[in-house]
Amino acid sequence: MPAVGQNVLRKEGRGKVTGAAKYVDDLSFPGMLYGSTIRSTIPCGRIRSTRPEFDPSEWVVAGVPDIPGKNVIALIEDDQPCLADGRVRHVAEPILLLAHADREALAGAKVAVDYEPETPVYDPAASPRVFKEILIEKGDLGKGFSRAARVVEGEYRTGHQEQLYIECNGVIAVPENGGITVYGSLQCPYYVHKALVVLLGLPPERVRVVQTETGGGFGGKEEYPSMLAGHASILALKAGRPVKMVYDRVEDMLATTKRHPSIVRHRTGVASDGRIVAMDIDVLMDGGAYLTLSPVVLSRGVLHATGPYRCDDVRVHGRVVMTNTPPNGAFRGFGAPQTLFAAEVHMERISEALEMDPVRLRELNLFRPGDTTATGQVLGADCSAAEVLREAVARTGFDARRQALSGTNAGIGLSLFFHGSGFTGGGEVRLASRASLALTPTGARILVGSTEIGQGTRTIHAQIVADALGIPYENVEVSDADTACVPDSGPTVASRTCMVVGKILQNCALEMKARLGSLSPARYLELHGPLVVTREYEKPAELEWSDETYRGDAYGAYGWGCNVAEVERDPDTFEIRPVRLTAVCEIGKAIHPTLAAGQIEGGTAQGIGYAILEEVVFRDGAMANAQMTNYVVPTTLDTPPIDVVILESAYPHGPHGAKGIGEMPIDGPAPAIVNAIRHMGVDLRQIPATPERVMEASCVSP
Amino acid sequence: MKTFTLLPVRSLLEGGRESAKPGSILKAGGVDLLDRMKEGLETPDRVVSIAHVPGHDGIEVGPPARIGALATLARLDSHAELRRVYPALADAAGGAATPQIRNMATLGGNLAQRPRCWYFRQAEFDCTKKGGAQCFALNGENRFHAIFDTDVCCCIHPSATAVALLAYAARVDTVGTRGKRSISIEDFFVAPREDPTRENQLAAGEVIEAVVLPAPAPGSRSVYKKLKEKESFDWPLVETAVSVSVSRGTIQDARVVLGSVSPVPRRARGAEKILAGARPSAELIARAAEAAVAGATPLSQNAHKVRLARVMVERALREILA
Repeated sequence: MPAVGQNVLRKEGRGKVTGAAKYVDDLSFPGMLYGSTIRSTIPCGRIRSTRPEFDPSEWVVAGVPDIPGKNVIALIEDDQPCLADGRVRHVAEPILLLAHADREALAGAKVAVDYEPETPVYDPAASPRVFKEILIEKGDLGKGFSRAARVVEGEYRTGHQEQLYIECNGVIAVPENGGITVYGSLQCPYYVHKALVVLLGLPPERVRVVQTETGGGFGGKEEYPSMLAGHASILALKAGRPVKMVYDRVEDMLATTKRHPSIVRHRTGVASDGRIVAMDIDVLMDGGAYLTLSPVVLSRGVLHATGPYRCDDVRVHGRVVMTNTPPNGAFRGFGAPQTLFAAEVHMERISEALEMDPVRLRELNLFRPGDTTATGQVLGADCSAAEVLREAVARTGFDARRQALSGTNAGIGLSLFFHGSGFTGGGEVRLASRASLALTPTGARILVGSTEIGQGTRTIHAQIVADALGIPYENVEVSDADTACVPDSGPTVASRTCMVVGKILQNCALEMKARLGSLSPARYLELHGPLVVTREYEKPAELEWSDETYRGDAYGAYGWGCNVAEVERDPDTFEIRPVRLTAVCEIGKAIHPTLAAGQIEGGTAQGIGYAILEEVVFRDGAMANAQMTNYVVPTTLDTPPIDVVILESAYPHGPHGAKGIGEMPIDGPAPAIVNAIRHMGVDLRQIPATPERVMEASCVSP
Repeated sequence: MKTFTLLPVRSLLEGGRESAKPGSILKAGGVDLLDRMKEGLETPDRVVSIAHVPGHDGIEVGPPARIGALATLARLDSHAELRRVYPALADAAGGAATPQIRNMATLGGNLAQRPRCWYFRQAEFDCTKKGGAQCFALNGENRFHAIFDTDVCCCIHPSATAVALLAYAARVDTVGTRGKRSISIEDFFVAPREDPTRENQLAAGEVIEAVVLPAPAPGSRSVYKKLKEKESFDWPLVETAVSVSVSRGTIQDARVVLGSVSPVPRRARGAEKILAGARPSAELIARAAEAAVAGATPLSQNAHKVRLARVMVERALREILA
C-alpha cells in the first residue's frame, strides 16, 4: 500500500512521546561550561567602556578581539556584528560574553557598561535608513485610475508578533578536531555553518553543525541560531572547553527576532460594476536595527500585496527601514500575513463603499487560471482561488449567516488568500539545493539538511521516498541533520521542505530504483558495494524570473486559502470571541493528511492570536512584556472549533502534486476576523483587535 | 536559579521558625515561589517546605467553614458542599491558572502570593515594591495595573480567593513563633501607603494555618465573576465577588468586592450602601455598579478597566438579584 496520502506514524513521534528524544539542554559534555551574554541596556549609542564587576581570573570573558574571523553574522549583507563593536543600535544587543562552570554564578555576574547615548529612532516612517526598496509595476497606473468610477483608500497596520516556540533558543559549542562542532535547536544547519565559517575564520570542513531535537521554530530559529552559535563558539574556542548557552524565556523574547510590524496603504480604482481597475499599494515594514532577512521578508510581502486579485494596472512600492529595536526576522508567513491583512480588509472596505456583497466582489476579481499576477506570472491550471472561496462560502452557509447575524453583537467575515511555495523568484536556483539517498540492506536512508521542527519533515520525506522506491515506509530511515553527513538542502523555511526538497528526494529515489533494477537492496550492496544517490534542484524549464525588474514567475506554485470567521462581541467589555473558524486550503496534495491538517489548525490558531491577542509592547526600545504571563497567546480554551478542509489541485512539479503548506494558514485568520468585526459596523483597520481598540473603533469612550 | 537546600518540616510552627532564619523562605505549593526564584527575585539558601505537613488541608464546610491553609485550589473547586454554601470561593479557586497549577497551589499560598506587575517581576527594575524609589508602572506600561489607590505602587493584588473571602467576611488564622492569632481578612492585607514592600501583615515566622468563613446569613446569595484576556493560564483584568442577603424582597446586607483593581482587594462600600435596605431593580443595580467604580483614578493606559469593573459588578448583581 502506498504511504503517501496515509496517516503513517511519525518518524520521531515515539521518542518525543516517551521522553527519549534529546533536546539541547538534555545534552552535556565533559568539562562543559555555561555561557551568558552581556547585552546593551540602551537603544542607541557609543560604548565608552566595559568593566566586569567580578574577578575575571575565574571566568572566561570574550569580546570583539576574541573573534578569530570577521565580526559579522553572515547572511544577506554582513551588517550585523556578532558582538557590538564600539556602538549599540538596539536594546539587548550583545556586547560581551561570559562563561563559567557554575550555571548560577552567571546570573549574578554584572558588567558595568558606560554609554554615550544617542537619540533612537522608533517610528519607521521617520527612519533615516532604508534597508531595501522594491517596486513592482504592471501596466499603466494612470490609465487604470482614469477608468475608475470609485477610488477607495485606506491604511492598515499590524504589530510585532513573537514566535513563542515552546523550546527557547539554545546551543552547545564543542571545540574538536581543530575546529568547532555546534549542537543546537535550529531550523537551518547550513545557515549556521556558513555564518560560523566567516565568524571563526575556519575552513568549512572544520565546522560541523548538528541539529538536536527541536521544540518548534516558526521562523524564529531561521537566523538567530547563527548569532547564538557564534557566541557559544567564541567562548568555547577561547576556553578550550565545550560551552552551553540556553536562553530563558525572558532573554529569548527580549533579544531574538519577531514578525515585522507593517503600515500598508492602498489606493484602489474600481469600475462601477465592481471590477478593480487600478491598484496602488505602499508597504512600509519595520526591520529593526540590522538588515538580517528584511529584504526577503519585504519581497514576500510585496509579492502578496495585491491579494489574489487580477488587475492590469498595478504599482506596489515597498520599503523596509531601520529602527533602534532588535532586528525583526523570519516568522511563519514571512511578510505575507502583513500585506494580505491589508489587502483583505481593504477588499472588505471596497465592498462596503460599493455596497456590494463581499463574496460577489471577490468572485468578480479573483485570480483564475491564465490570469497574470502583478509580476506578470501567468497562473497555471492549479490556481484555485475560485474553488476555495466557493467551498468556504457553501460550507458555512455564508450568505444566510451574514444576513442572520446582521445587526447583532456577532459577525461573520471572510478572507481569500494565496501563498507562494518555496523561495522567492530566483532564490531556489541560487540555493541549488541537494538531497541524498543512501541504500541500506532493507531500504534507504534519507540524507537532507532539512530539519524536523515539529511539522513532520522526516515523516513526509520518508513517505515520498518509500513510494518512489516501492518499499514499506518503515524501511526508510532519516539521518540527523548533521552537516558532517548530509548535503545542503537549503533552509527549512518558506513552505519549501515538501514541495522542493521532497521533489529532489523523489528524483533520488526514482534514480535509485532504476539502478537497483530487479536486485533487492541487500543483493545490490553485496554485488556493487555502497550506493548513494545525490540530486540537485531542477528548475522547471518554464519558470523565468528577474530580480532586477521584479517581473516573471515569482514562485513555482501557490497554495490557495479561504477563511470564514464567526465572532461575538461582548457589548459591554468589547472582547472579541471567535466562535468558529473555517479554513479551506488548496495545497496540491496532502502527503500526510493528519500532519497537513495539523499545520492548518496550528497556523490558524497562531493567526487568531495575531488577530486579537498578541501585542508586543515596546518601551524605550525594549519589549516590556517579555514573559508568557503578559504576552498573551491563545490557549485551547480561547481557540474556537476549526473546520479544516483540504482541497487538492496538483502542481505538476511537486512530489505527487504537493505544494507548500506550512505558512499559508496564518495568512487568513486576521483579515477574516477583522472583517467579521467590520460586519458589526466597527471600522477597525489594525491588529491585534484588543478590546481597547474595538471599543475605540466602536466610537465609545470608556 | 540559585542552588538551595530543601528543608521539609513536620509542623507549621517549625516551618515558621525555620523560615524566619536568615536566607530562608517558606514554601507550600511552591508555585509562585518557583516563579520568583527563576526570575531572580528570591535567592534563598534554604527553602522550608510545609507542603507535606499533615492535618492542614481539610475542608470543613460547617458553617462556619474552616479550610486548612494547605487545601489546594483544585480541592476547593471540586468540593460539592463548599460550592453549595460558598460558591464564590469555589469559582474563584476553580478559575485560577490551570488545572496543573490548581493541583499544587494552596489556599494559603494563593493569599500570600506576590503581585504580577511586570516591573516588579523583572529583576532589573528596582521599583517601590522592591524597596526602590519609584513605581515604574505609574508612568509606564500600566494597562493591567490599578485604577484605585495608585499613589505609591499601582500593582494589583493577584489573589482571586482573597476577593471571595472578603465578600464572605472571612478570618485568617495564623500560627507563629509568637503564638496564634486570628485576623479579619480586611486587616490581613497591607496597602502600599503603609508599606509598599509587602502585601499582608504576616510577621517573620508567622504562617497561615486556616481560613474561617462565617455562616452565611439566611437568604444570602453570592457569586464570583471575572474577566480575563484568555480563558486559561491568565490573571483577571477585573474580578468581583458579591454576597447579598435578601429578606422579604429587601436587600438586608451586601458585600461587594472588586479584585485586580487595586494593590489590595477592595470593598466597594459605596455600592454596598446603595444596596443595603433597597429593593432590587435594574435601576438600583446600575446605580450600585456605578458607585462601585466612583472615585477611580485610572492610569494613562487603563481607563477601560473602570468600565470593565462596572460591567462585572452589574453582571454579578444581576445574576444574584434576578
